[in-house]
Amino acid sequence: MIRMVAVRLLLTAPILLGVSIVAFVLMRALPGDFAQASAGTSTISAEALDTIRRSLGLDLPMWQQYLGWLGAALSGDLGVSFTLRTPVASEIFPRLAVTAELTLIAGLMAGLMGVTTGLLSARLRGMTDWVVRGWNSLLLAVPNFVIATLIVLLFGLYFPSVGIFNYVAFARDPSGNIASLLLPALSLALTVSVTVSENTRAAVLEVSSQDYVMVAKSKGLRPRAILRDYLVRNALTPVVTVTGLQLAALLGGSILIETIFTIPGMGQYLFDSIASRDYPAIQAIVLVASTIVLLMNVLVDIAYARVDARVSYD
Amino acid sequence: MVEPLLSVRNLTATFERHGAPARVVNGISFDIAPGEAVGFVGESGCGKSVTARAILRLAPEGSSIAWGGHILFRGQDLLRLDDAAMTDIRGRHIAMVFQDPMSSLNPVMSVGAQIDDMLIRHAGLSRRAARRRAIELLDLVGIREPASRADDHPHQFSGGMRQRVLIAIAVSCQPALLIADEPTTALDVTVQAQILRLLMRLRRELGMALMLITHDFGVIAGMVERVHVMQHGAIVETGAVDPLFAAPRHAYTRALLAAVPRLDTTAGPA
Ligand SMILES: Nc1ncnc2c1ncn2[C@@H]1O[C@H](COP(=O)(O)OP(=O)(O)OP(=O)(O)O)[C@@H](O)[C@H]1O
Ligand SMILES: [Mg+2]
Repeated sequence: MIRMVAVRLLLTAPILLGVSIVAFVLMRALPGDFAQASAGTSTISAEALDTIRRSLGLDLPMWQQYLGWLGAALSGDLGVSFTLRTPVASEIFPRLAVTAELTLIAGLMAGLMGVTTGLLSARLRGMTDWVVRGWNSLLLAVPNFVIATLIVLLFGLYFPSVGIFNYVAFARDPSGNIASLLLPALSLALTVSVTVSENTRAAVLEVSSQDYVMVAKSKGLRPRAILRDYLVRNALTPVVTVTGLQLAALLGGSILIETIFTIPGMGQYLFDSIASRDYPAIQAIVLVASTIVLLMNVLVDIAYARVDARVSYD
Repeated sequence: MVEPLLSVRNLTATFERHGAPARVVNGISFDIAPGEAVGFVGESGCGKSVTARAILRLAPEGSSIAWGGHILFRGQDLLRLDDAAMTDIRGRHIAMVFQDPMSSLNPVMSVGAQIDDMLIRHAGLSRRAARRRAIELLDLVGIREPASRADDHPHQFSGGMRQRVLIAIAVSCQPALLIADEPTTALDVTVQAQILRLLMRLRRELGMALMLITHDFGVIAGMVERVHVMQHGAIVETGAVDPLFAAPRHAYTRALLAAVPRLDTTAGPA
């Protein structure tokens, strides 16, 4: 187990290197650069643009720029933002905390909704099953940014008092902060809850027909104990995996959601940075985000092994 | 004659298959006396498992089954008991060993925990006392180093060992009746004999009645006092083992006997 974790962690290094190269090249393949983007629509002389580029090192060959960035990044320096002229790290980590919180709340919501509906659907069957599956197909057909837009419209038009765009910093008002993240988290969670729900349902149905469940009944165990120790614990294995992987997907979804709800998280930061071609910021965000996704995958594997003793990675 | 422990009268079992009911057990009646070993033989699909499971009111998940008739256990009709009372009977008074040990244990629980939960449920033991007893039971069914093996998970046991564990689970609360539904069918021939010997020994030591189901006459011989031969959801012939083997009256029984290679010598004419 420890060896598996060590190996997986070692493997993240080359992956991160690859991701950083791809991000580096792709960014520069986009039309325009920071100099042009910062000029906006105003006309600016070619010499002035060149001066800006030289001052940022953008005139150097691409490999030289990359190696410079890599060297700094390896020593823990993520560079200085083109737009803000402040270290990227000081900007990224507070925003990361916001996104992490949003993702966590959304993940909890999705897990709770998904496992509950999936379990009810599989155990009660009949009408409940139909309702849950209909609801799931509906949610699946609607992307999360549409849900977010609908929520914004709904509350904006009919419940303006709720104040959907009033993000509150955690340090200022913790409960207000969580409250201000509930609707954005919901719009993220609904889509993910479908995956969790469908997987829970399938897993519980599959487990219910296993011989060991009939053995458990023949032992005279109470229905609640059978549900907990035999059905849920076995159904959990696949559900943990998909939920974990979905959490990584939530990170991606939060880009749109944060932009829609004006939440100062990583997603919004990435959106702004791309718009202004703020290369160091984009590079840092990509690096941090991929590190998180990779770590999450390792965590999923660990969780998987914890709930299922048959899984051994040696 | 002693008061029967189990008295099945006119048992029927009907599956509701897409509205079309299918009756697979057709009015079966039999008795099992306390401590008695009774065999049930019959070809595949004749309703042996459905009959056995009916006694515990167990139905395969997702199927809808209706039972009729009476299953009197110590005079109490199990088919008319409420669910909670039935749950109290299962495992505590009537226990069951199933056909496939490979799929009958919960893969995510240690084997010890799967004995513990039963003891905690029925014998009201504490977690620690239950584990002590579970280790004794593993020892009783012939698992070596039971104390350390109790923490192992099912995948760390062979098929024969798993069936021993399942037998330990079944006898853990010293039931009055043990139903064994083809307990050796899924096992190697050499292991089969060991498991059958284990069942016989436990029956003697614990004074349990045994309902042994098989499609193999070779298994029945020497293990039970009486045999019921089943065909198409009905009992077609009943008798003490040796006379029945020597002179089967029913054509179906003769056919079944003829189909079995006769390895044992005890089944000769008495
Ligand atoms: N879940 C189910 N739904 C519908 N019919 C079933 C179901 N389970 C069993 N049956 C039917 O009931 C009949 C009796 O099955 P049962 O399992 O009792 O046979 P068996 O005598 O135990 O056979 P085997 O030796 O193969 O175990 C069979 O004809 C089978 O098709
Ligand atoms: Mg059967």
